[in-house]
Amino acid sequence: MAGATRPRTVGERVADADPSAGRILLVAAGALFWGWLLVSWVNRWLGGAIAPVGEPLVAPETVEGAFAAVPGLAAVAADAAFVVELTPVLAQGTWLTVVITGVSLVCGFFIAVPLAVARVYGRFSAWLSLGYTELLRGTPLLAQLFVLYYGLNLAASVPAAVSGVFPRDVVWVAILGFTLNGAAYQAEYIRGAVESVDDGQITAGRAIGLSKLESIYYVVLPQALRYAIPSWTNEFVYLIKYSSLAGFITVPELYYRADQVATETFRYTAVFLVLGAMYLALVLTASKFMERVDDRVAIPGLGVDRER
Amino acid sequence: MSDDAFLRVSEVSKWYGDEQVLDGVSFEMDRGDVTVLIGPSGSGKSTMLRCVNRLAEAQEGSITLDGEEVLSPDTDVDELRRDVGMVFQSFNLFAHLTATGNVALGPRRVLGLSEEEARDRAAAQLERVGLADQLDSYPAELSGGQQQRVGIARALAMEPKLMLFDEPTSALDPELIGEVLEVMRALVDEGMTMLVVTHEMSFARAVADEVVFLDDGRVVERGPPEQLFERPEKERTGRFLERIASHD
Repeated sequence: MAGATRPRTVGERVADADPSAGRILLVAAGALFWGWLLVSWVNRWLGGAIAPVGEPLVAPETVEGAFAAVPGLAAVAADAAFVVELTPVLAQGTWLTVVITGVSLVCGFFIAVPLAVARVYGRFSAWLSLGYTELLRGTPLLAQLFVLYYGLNLAASVPAAVSGVFPRDVVWVAILGFTLNGAAYQAEYIRGAVESVDDGQITAGRAIGLSKLESIYYVVLPQALRYAIPSWTNEFVYLIKYSSLAGFITVPELYYRADQVATETFRYTAVFLVLGAMYLALVLTASKFMERVDDRVAIPGLGVDRER
Repeated sequence: MSDDAFLRVSEVSKWYGDEQVLDGVSFEMDRGDVTVLIGPSGSGKSTMLRCVNRLAEAQEGSITLDGEEVLSPDTDVDELRRDVGMVFQSFNLFAHLTATGNVALGPRRVLGLSEEEARDRAAAQLERVGLADQLDSYPAELSGGQQQRVGIARALAMEPKLMLFDEPTSALDPELIGEVLEVMRALVDEGMTMLVVTHEMSFARAVADEVVFLDDGRVVERGPPEQLFERPEKERTGRFLERIASHD
């Protein structure tokens, strides 16, 4: 039924895709955005094989000329050229933003799942889990980062094995902070989903001789993690934006870079508008991606009437 | 009955808090017997069933299965449950697994069969309950009757010594009850030892070796179906059977 109607190949999916103008525009914008980022990153890794490192992929003068030639756009030609000049710095900052968000999210997930399970099925561990969650959710993230960076001076004790992976070791401190904090939020979303799995599921697992932990692992979690996806996506989206707080402990991510440029050029409005658009693009990508994942892992027959 | 009864339940009592739900329940079954527990809702039938595989814990009394004390603290409950299949009123199929996945999970993870052996065993059991054409269907894609048959196959795949049925047809639309009872009848014919909680009196009458009538956590009366249904000794039994009959 539902399994049979799910498109299997890229061709089928393209053929099935909603061909509305809005969608085409969104896909085109996404392709342009990620194309630019990937080319910029690869260019930097290859030491400037495509364009000199630190230079825009397209010359600002070319863009300015093109804008000036179009009536109505001529007025913003100088602004367009300025934005193009920003692109190398933005791409570089976005790399760290993406890496910090991605690594923290994944590491946080592996902490969040045991926290959620302990909260629902544990006795003493439920209190530990609750304490951890409330502490991490109840105090400002920025304060947590300050404690790790200024208070505990963790940047000085990054293990040699991973030291030097990033331009500054403080990136690891940011990843640790977002992992610990994000785990608390993720645990709350996953806990809700675990609680929504019918008790009969675990009873049935026990009845065929699975232990309680095995029943949770083989029966409850595969369902709960699916149910958690829509709300869990919130945490993904929040983390993309919260990662800008890493700038306050000197991590040169997207926000930090943009803030620097704004201070140097005094063009606060232009810089922060572009910065906002960057975060919006990242967030839209994340939520669209998770929508795909949700559809992909949906259990056939369940919620088939739930149209997106 | 004889001393070497296959399943012996003696003087089992259980409380939920202050409320006593089982009060000195006793009965025995021989290998291959079919015993049906009947009684009004809240009479403790389902709880009694669950005490046998320790999904519920009896506080007093003794239950021996094949000579082993079930209620002993030394009993490995996971091992016990391997030998005792259970079928639930609400099916409780694993929602994220196909019919095959549901039936194969126990053999794979509890019995330690290989993926392929487990799937083969699952396919064989699903064929046994008449679902050879639904191997890859998910629970939500199956009718209630089909789901319950998967539930039966899932229990059978562990090759249990005893099958417990907890109102297996109570959640089904009337037209789907027949297919489940048919599978259960076939099991009776194969000699499976079955302890069944049900309101299907015609099924009880047809296949039970003994019917046990529970009320308020006590065994009011027990005996062969023809005796219990035709000439109940206790007034309460008669009243209960009349009430059931007027609903049919």
